[in-house]
Amino acid sequence: MISFEPTEDQRLMVDSIAQFAKTTLRPRIRELEKARAVPDDVQKTALELGVGLVAVPEAVGGAGLGLLTAVLLEEELAFGDPAAGFALAGPGSLALAVTELGTEAQAREALAPFTDGTPRFGAVAWGEKKALAERAGLSTIAKRDGDTWTLDGEKAYVLNADRAEVFVVLAQVDPSKGFRGLGAFLVPKAAKGLTVAPRSTTLGLDAASFGGLTLEGVKVPEASRLAGGDDFDAALVRFFAKQSLVFAARSVGLSRAAFELTRAYVDERKSFGKPIGHFQAVAFTIADRAMDVDAARGMVWRAAAAWDARDKSDAERGDAPRVDERECLRQSAWAISFAHEAAMRCGDDGVQLHGGAGFMRDYAVEKLMRDAKQLQLCGLTAEHADQLAAAAELGVPIDPALVLPTAETQNAFI
Amino acid sequence: MTIEFSLSKRQIEMRDNVRMLATGVIRPQSLAWDRAGGVPEEFLRNLARLATSMGSSAMRSGLGEEGGKEKKKSSDSMQSNLGTVLATEELSWADGALLLSLPGPGLGGPPVRATGTPEQKERFFGIFKDQDAPLRWGAYALTEPAAGSDVAGIRTSCRKEGREWVLNGRKCYITNGARASWNVVFATIDPSLGRAGHRAFVVEKGTKGFGVGRIEDKMGLRASETAELVFEDCRVPEENLLGGEEKYASKEGFMTAMKTFDNTRPIVASMAIGIGRAAYDYACDFVKRHYVMSRPIPRYAAMAERLARVGRGLDAARTVTWRAAWLADNGHANAKEASMSKALGGQAAIRACIEAIEICGAEGAIAEDHQLLEKWFRDIKVYDIFEGTGQIQRIVISKRLISNLKSF
Ligand SMILES: Cc1cc2nc3c(=O)[nH]c(=O)nc-3n(C[C@H](O)[C@H](O)[C@H](O)COP(=O)(O)OP(=O)(O)OC[C@H]3O[C@@H](n4cnc5c(N)ncnc54)[C@H](O)[C@@H]3O)c2cc1C
Repeated sequence: MISFEPTEDQRLMVDSIAQFAKTTLRPRIRELEKARAVPDDVQKTALELGVGLVAVPEAVGGAGLGLLTAVLLEEELAFGDPAAGFALAGPGSLALAVTELGTEAQAREALAPFTDGTPRFGAVAWGEKKALAERAGLSTIAKRDGDTWTLDGEKAYVLNADRAEVFVVLAQVDPSKGFRGLGAFLVPKAAKGLTVAPRSTTLGLDAASFGGLTLEGVKVPEASRLAGGDDFDAALVRFFAKQSLVFAARSVGLSRAAFELTRAYVDERKSFGKPIGHFQAVAFTIADRAMDVDAARGMVWRAAAAWDARDKSDAERGDAPRVDERECLRQSAWAISFAHEAAMRCGDDGVQLHGGAGFMRDYAVEKLMRDAKQLQLCGLTAEHADQLAAAAELGVPIDPALVLPTAETQNAFI
Repeated sequence: MTIEFSLSKRQIEMRDNVRMLATGVIRPQSLAWDRAGGVPEEFLRNLARLATSMGSSAMRSGLGEEGGKEKKKSSDSMQSNLGTVLATEELSWADGALLLSLPGPGLGGPPVRATGTPEQKERFFGIFKDQDAPLRWGAYALTEPAAGSDVAGIRTSCRKEGREWVLNGRKCYITNGARASWNVVFATIDPSLGRAGHRAFVVEKGTKGFGVGRIEDKMGLRASETAELVFEDCRVPEENLLGGEEKYASKEGFMTAMKTFDNTRPIVASMAIGIGRAAYDYACDFVKRHYVMSRPIPRYAAMAERLARVGRGLDAARTVTWRAAWLADNGHANAKEASMSKALGGQAAIRACIEAIEICGAEGAIAEDHQLLEKWFRDIKVYDIFEGTGQIQRIVISKRLISNLKSF
């Protein structure tokens, strides 16, 4: 059955996050930006709301409410401040990485520290500064010696690198297999040989933190390898798609924020003796952005609902038809690129319709515009998403090369 | 309730039935109808019988159910807005013009249903009940040579003389207007009154003073009839004033015309999406055959990107269309969302048809090899024009978002 009505429980949760966004995040949006972090009192309130573990299955310590509930809540947080979802304490993408790639026991153990009510961060390190010219794959290498793996290499653009207590690091296990020869490892911050580079200055999302890692002879036991069940590559692609869908939900929240601020402004601001919203060029822009918001939100919901339907056991699903993984990937890829591009348009037109005032930091739209571009570059980019959507549609093998580093390596693969 | 997008068992069954019909029976005839400029009546009759047995309202009347019932329908039912939208996409995928040619009240149905008195509903819907009678159509005549988007500016006049109304004027671009058993015709008692002066009549075929002008020769949808209607001292009995005199005490007259659109726009949107998906599917097949199997490296990625954007645009429109239909099924206002669906659907589908031709390269534009692609390219443009142009949809949307906005 097609329905756009959230459950009563979801509505209550959405309302409480919306309240937090309205009374705390939005009024303090510039404070978070200047501090380049979320202040302790806000962290504390957010932890109590418990957004970080919403989608994590109950069996491994989460709330087990599914990806759909997660995207509903992430949208509300981002409506308050798009950086909040990235900067609030919690396992972040690490939760998705360990649930998709690890065994149940590994996921439970890795997530246990995050359930004790203290603000802690986790991170996933996949990015690297330079694509390899000589072969496809990652330059960070993992070598095995008996029960011990040794990791060497450099990771870049890692979200919350300087805050995380534990990382999932992606590395090349078998260089001869390119992007089909990768492995994932749990690495504690305290591991010998691991150094965290100072965080970067960024275009937007200042309250979040992006930085690099250097791994020099870092040793982890075989038990820390996340093997991805019987198909590591498929699990890795699922991780990327789901993670990026959560980011896309933040883009929806951002779009809505920019749209609402701008809609109010065009009512208020007058030129040539009437509200600027009464000029057709302005009104049509408002209509176009309204369509962007509605379409992006619906698409993110659809993709999240598809994953939840796929992840249900036969018993839980009952009569409902099985949803195939390709369909989930296609819907996610469509939703991700659409939501990010819509957010960019909403931010851009938001500043445009504010005129000179939009360029000033007195108004939030300039921050939203910067955040939108930054958000678009977290997780799957539009270029990745397009290739993934087409591959899912055309029956081309789905491969980590479709979601990992650069366009050149993808082309080399294809 | 919960947010959910998988179809119910019933909906899947219905969609699969319609799909079978679409691929096996309709699509193979599509080009021939385009060439001949019409769908044979025999085909329409058989299809109508089949549709009744399948219970699909989308196929029975083209646009919505013909009965006068107003009861709320579960989204699961095929008569619901959602059910209609789902079936419409499938049928339009097979052939756009066919959907507009289906016998039944067509676009004339919604205003009669929304505004007609019980006797009028009985009279005007009654003629469609008998399956063995000759095929019959209803139609909706609002547009005039000098008033299309600016609906309030219609000039066709009406004045009361005794127990009759006398109509004078011209209507143009009326779908099924010539063959219709009746047309819902909008006229004005006094153009200076604007909307308050509007009246809607059901003008029956054969009424004295009512004639058909030219039948249009069109870019696309050539199998659908588009007619000019002429009224010269056309005498319409007072019983044919839709809703009776008291309906027009306020601005209701104009609202009658507009109410129709909240339900029909998502349907028209899904017609567009159906044609867009036809082109998208075709292009996907082409790329699979020419690029995936043989994989010339640089071009595959470029083609993949184009396909992804086309598929994505159609899916964005589809999602918004489903929501507009779902809102209506659940008794919520949906004027804004209905307009969004129409604006997005038309544009996404036009994009799809243009891109599909480009993806298939030179072959795409050469009618001999890719006749269907060429046909869809011609068919699709009008979906951003009729039932309110893309610009008009944006006016409807922005009026609901910006304070005190009257018009432009
Ligand atoms: C195949 C076909 C079937 C049709 N079937 C029917 C039918 O069954 N019944 C019926 O009544 N009509 C029917 N129509 C008519 C259709 O609804 C009109 O063509 C449509 O509403 C546009 O009106 P117009 O052609 O007068 O264009 P115009 O109103 O002249 O518009 C011309 C252009 O100006 C733009 N424009 C106009 N006003 C504004 C404004 N205020 N702001 C910004 N832009 C504006 C429009 O968007 C358009 O791009 C049909 C048309 C076609 C082509």
